[in-house]
Amino acid sequence: MIQFFQVSKRYPGGQTALDRVSFDIARGQFVFLTGASGAGKTSLLRLIFREDVPSEGQILVNGRNVSSIPPQKIPYLRRTIGVVFQDFRLISRKTVFENVTYLPRILGTDLTSQKKLAYQALRRVGLAHRLNAFPLELSGGEQQRVAIARALIHEPEILIADEPTGNLDPELSWDILRLFLEVNLRGTTVLLATHDREMIQRVGRRVLTLDAGRLILDQELQGIDPPRLEAPAEALEPPGPPVLEAAPEAGA
Amino acid sequence: MSFLQALRAFFREAAINLARGWKVSLVAVLTITLSLFVGGAFLLVSGNLLASVERWRGEMRVVVYLQPGMAEDRVEALAGELRRGPGIAGVETVSAVAARERFQEAFPSLSDLVEGMGDEPLPPSLEVTPADPAHRPPELRAFLDSWRRRPEVSMVDDDREWLGQLENVVALLRAVGLALGVGLLVAAIFTIGSVIRLTAYLHSDEISILRLVGATEFYIRGPFYAEGFLQGLLGGFLATGFLWAGSALLHAQNPDALLTRLLAARFLTPAEAAALVGLGAGAGLVGAIASLRRERLTVAENEPAAE
Ligand SMILES: Nc1ncnc2c1ncn2[C@@H]1O[C@H](COP(=O)(O)OP(=O)(O)OP(=O)(O)O)[C@@H](O)[C@H]1O
Ligand SMILES: [Mg+2]
Repeated sequence: MIQFFQVSKRYPGGQTALDRVSFDIARGQFVFLTGASGAGKTSLLRLIFREDVPSEGQILVNGRNVSSIPPQKIPYLRRTIGVVFQDFRLISRKTVFENVTYLPRILGTDLTSQKKLAYQALRRVGLAHRLNAFPLELSGGEQQRVAIARALIHEPEILIADEPTGNLDPELSWDILRLFLEVNLRGTTVLLATHDREMIQRVGRRVLTLDAGRLILDQELQGIDPPRLEAPAEALEPPGPPVLEAAPEAGA
Repeated sequence: MSFLQALRAFFREAAINLARGWKVSLVAVLTITLSLFVGGAFLLVSGNLLASVERWRGEMRVVVYLQPGMAEDRVEALAGELRRGPGIAGVETVSAVAARERFQEAFPSLSDLVEGMGDEPLPPSLEVTPADPAHRPPELRAFLDSWRRRPEVSMVDDDREWLGQLENVVALLRAVGLALGVGLLVAAIFTIGSVIRLTAYLHSDEISILRLVGATEFYIRGPFYAEGFLQGLLGGFLATGFLWAGSALLHAQNPDALLTRLLAARFLTPAEAAALVGLGAGAGLVGAIASLRRERLTVAENEPAAE
């Protein structure tokens, strides 16, 4: 699903962020990407959805060579990848509803379906009741979850998350992690960058470790399934039919 | 998403942007309005003047003014002599009395000026209708020149001469108006371009999100093109409205005045008004497209992510 062949990334300043990195992530895998600050995690993730191009090497995503993809095809690649940024990148002028429905909107989804999708995605992160709030009215953790809802709204083939639990308290971190594992169970390939060694140890799965731009470790840890994750589930709302009355009015 | 759906979305987005940033947009709209108003006004005025010239061209005569106080039979004799000249279709005698009455009819407010002064104040004249009103063959010109030098003649006035000068003035007016209109339009295009670029800059965070989730360039740029188009359209409507108001004002104040008849006899035809509005909208679109041509629309794309 995601293949790196001897990929290097050097920034114009001369800074080498990635040094001949190679790996192969199969469809449906759940992979942690870890390493010290500045190791090159964000740089690596950005190459996958073509926010940047490698200085050397080849990257295949879903069989397509990302660095040689024609510019007009890039949008179609990106529609299959959900991304959660380290810095959220929410638009403060827009409501939570508007923030999470960018993808449905550019696909021309009608408003009713948009509301349904937004409700479902926000319910999964426990924020269905904040549909009409503005990002700055939310806590950092809540903003983080809105960003996650935006990435999940269209059941992406690949989910990329850069420190998605960095702003969450441990309890909420586990909820979000469990959400990612659920998403992964439904078939989405997940690549998650994190510093949180403890979390990685508890969850298991495959771990790629970067150090100063080099892939120094590619290990498979003993995994546990989402139901066995011991974490309080109260923060997440129980699943149920979407309540459309809670959705905002047209043009909200 | 269908093309029409996309267009609707673009215009809705553009309308919201216009409403939110109306102060900056107003500047762009007003520059378009000014350029179209000036260009349109010159074209309207010169068009009306040209129409008058056309009307007069068919009635062009040569008037031979005689010395004041000349006896009637002498006037008739001269008329007879003139009739035998080359290229002359007819000669009509206008006596001093008839000249005064004509003057009083044409300028009622000035009628006292020529009344009760004893002698008739205006000279008798001979109105010569050339065989071809638009052209003066050399023989006729030589003939008329010889009449200019005769002592009985005070002045030979050829309509064609001043009509030709008027035509030159109108052509000049038209050229100046066109140049001014085009110059202002170019300025307006740049203004709209700057406003659009500013809007795009203010939305660069949103643009980068749109890029990220897979919006096409068309989808990303569409709202900005729509905004330029709307600004131009608005400017076109305003300019047409102001022109119409100016014309209506002239008519309301003094419908029969020479100025009204010359400048505002006819307003823009619906097709011309539509062309003016279309020109505005087109200019707005061009401004928007040109301003975003080289733009990546976002700086966030290749910046290091905030840590
Ligand atoms: N746009 C850029 N231009 C120049 N250098 C950059 C840019 N982005 C990142 N770098 C550099 O590349 C190296 C790797 O950075 P990167 O952001 O990938 O690290 P990271 O592993 O994500 O760190 P963190 O855990 O703190 O988020 C760093 O030394 C950083 O300074
Ligand atoms: Mg990072």
